Amino acid sequence: MKVHIELFGTLREAGTGDAIELELPARASVAMLRNTLAEHLAEHAPALPHGLLQHCAFASEDAILQDSDAVPHDRRLAVLPPVSGG
Amino acid sequence: MSMIHATAVDIAQAPLDPAAALEFVSDPRFGGITTFIGRVRDHNHGRIVTGVSYDIFRPLAVKTFEAIGNRAREQIGEPLKLYIAHAYGRLAIGDLAVVIAAGTPHRDEAFRACRLAIEAVKHEAPIWKQEHYIDGDSAWSEGCSLCEQHRQAESGARTAVPVASPGT
Repeated sequence: MKVHIELFGTLREAGTGDAIELELPARASVAMLRNTLAEHLAEHAPALPHGLLQHCAFASEDAILQDSDAVPHDRRLAVLPPVSGG
Repeated sequence: MSMIHATAVDIAQAPLDPAAALEFVSDPRFGGITTFIGRVRDHNHGRIVTGVSYDIFRPLAVKTFEAIGNRAREQIGEPLKLYIAHAYGRLAIGDLAVVIAAGTPHRDEAFRACRLAIEAVKHEAPIWKQEHYIDGDSAWSEGCSLCEQHRQAESGARTAVPVASPGT
């Protein structure tokens, strides 16, 4: 299945645009998505610090997702680097 | 009547409005009104700042503000009204980045609710600040990792985990 991943903060400047689409197995977990995205960024955005993705959260529009969660049914989620609002 | 007002405002459309915040949290029952206003300042860590840009995952940010409001009601008590508004886009020095107001019958709860809200916004909302400097450089601010907060919450501890974000 194709998963749409919206990027924010420093990830937007990785040279991959504001969003990425990745191919994942049906019923993939967030943990699997994290690993797949890390491999994709290592290849396409080598300027990003190694290990940044481990500090990033994945989220739907409604909630932060845990690594054990399945990718949402609508196959859309966001990657959230460490936050700095306020 | 809603007790919580939660919004994210595109600075290109309108500035934040402290008067609206005060009006929202005012109530004949309330003797204590507190406000926090975050403005863009012209320096940080020894560097001259010319402006900031806020990126935001807007739907989750607004939900986060609402959850913060509900938490304030649970922890501090009712009646309580809370107003949370955060700007996004390119802000100039002096622009208002965040406006928070709280209204409660007495002052102690109003101070506590306002402080709870701004700390939670800073540590939990999906918002990112990028500073722009006089030398033309820009850098994303050091942030708090949301996934590590969740992992710690699951294990029983709940503290913000700051993580340095790389500059550009």
